[in-house]
Amino acid sequence: MQCNGCEFRPELYYDSDYQIWVRPENDGTVLVGMTDISQTIAGKVLHVRVRRPGAIRPKGKPVATVETGKWAGPVPNPFDCVIETGNKAVLDDPSLLNRDPYLHWVARVRPSRPVAEALQGLLTGAAAEAGFCERVRRDDIQCKRVAS
Amino acid sequence: MLPTWRLIDTGTRRAAENFALNRAILEARKRGMTPSTLRFLQFGPSALLGYHQSAEQELDLDYCRANGIEVQRRITGGGAIYMDESVLGWELYLGKSDLGTPDMAAISQRVCETAARGVSAFGVRASYRPRTDIEVDGRKIAGTGGAFDGAALLYQGTLLLDFDIERMLRCLRLPAEMLSPQAIEGARARVVNLGELLGVVPPLEKIKRRIADEFAETLGVSFEPGELSPLEARLFREALAEIDSPEWVEMVRKPRGGLPVVEAIHRFAGGTLRAAAAYDRAGGRIRQVCFSGDFFVNPPRAVADLEAALRDCAIEDVPAAVARFFQGRPIEMPGLAPADFAVAVTRAAQAA
Repeated sequence: MQCNGCEFRPELYYDSDYQIWVRPENDGTVLVGMTDISQTIAGKVLHVRVRRPGAIRPKGKPVATVETGKWAGPVPNPFDCVIETGNKAVLDDPSLLNRDPYLHWVARVRPSRPVAEALQGLLTGAAAEAGFCERVRRDDIQCKRVAS
Repeated sequence: MLPTWRLIDTGTRRAAENFALNRAILEARKRGMTPSTLRFLQFGPSALLGYHQSAEQELDLDYCRANGIEVQRRITGGGAIYMDESVLGWELYLGKSDLGTPDMAAISQRVCETAARGVSAFGVRASYRPRTDIEVDGRKIAGTGGAFDGAALLYQGTLLLDFDIERMLRCLRLPAEMLSPQAIEGARARVVNLGELLGVVPPLEKIKRRIADEFAETLGVSFEPGELSPLEARLFREALAEIDSPEWVEMVRKPRGGLPVVEAIHRFAGGTLRAAAAYDRAGGRIRQVCFSGDFFVNPPRAVADLEAALRDCAIEDVPAAVARFFQGRPIEMPGLAPADFAVAVTRAAQAA
């Protein structure tokens, strides 16, 4: 599914600004990644730093930071959680986030509350799609990917 | 009526305080609790890492210690720099919608072009050089970088007033040959001070007013002098507790060997071309490259522009980036082909 060339995955969960996506895993952890909107706006990602495993991250504090073309900023965290690990492939080659932002997650975290409860404040499915497309149109974002 | 933004001037402060203020004002702007702001600032002698850099890789820590130079980590991206009172710092704190585009590269360009016009108001020809520099006739007079957090962003830049690059080179971890008198002269030729261009450094207040006037006019706002709000003062104290600590400065630690300085000499029909590069081994990227040798290039600034274009370039992308750079640019260089630059850089990286 696409809006202005920005890929949207209805099965994922999103924050209200569509900066990040979240995917629950079977082991009680969730994966956090950058959306197509985020990687497009940011440009080519040169550095990724994920907080150390075991770090407690309250809602709103970053799970990771990224740097692109001299801009640095957080990958925000939508719920209280503990960092399990960073994605080694992405840490080694941050530009993977520009090639396929949904295939390559940034961090695996364990929510402090049950997963279903942690996901409650996030958007998914048709509601998320409407908001995602609205954001893309409002900011006139044309998504671009870095070729593999 | 024009929107009113705040103008604050925090004078000369320690780097830790300057970056704690970055964090505090950006956070307050993100919460929508503070207006968009232009801030002027200066530093005591300090060596400043980019957010994701490692002090061991980037800096000569012994030199910094011996010379009373504060080592700190910025919250913005980019490379290590040296700052002291011979450099004026300026910063914009904005909402992402303030500049009409969410695209970060476009925001960098818009802010740099505006700052360049402010510098040009002194009668010099300053212009934006992609991606984040401001230059005068090919010589860098200002560098910039940014940080974003939610719907807010901070974009900061420098303006060289009376700066001696030798001090900066000595703070950085460079091989001895890059600190030779000739190499230092070569580095001096790549940067320029406002004082050097004008014969004298204009009064600081006048420089600040020109820059503020240019931002006001281009962005369609008016500035009103202001102070930190109580919320910002509290956020500042919290940020300072984190930033003014060895843990913050040492947050990223990478082995020295991960960023070797490499070089290669490439002989072409008309002479030799030497490429010296800082090579990020893990990322396979040229962090920075410097060309020298007995070649002739006109306009001479083309060499500095090419060096800027190759910053952070993946090694496999160098030939294409060099070709893109020369495409459509009328550059004379007898006996030297664009591909020679790519060959020299690639060989340097292979030596790592």
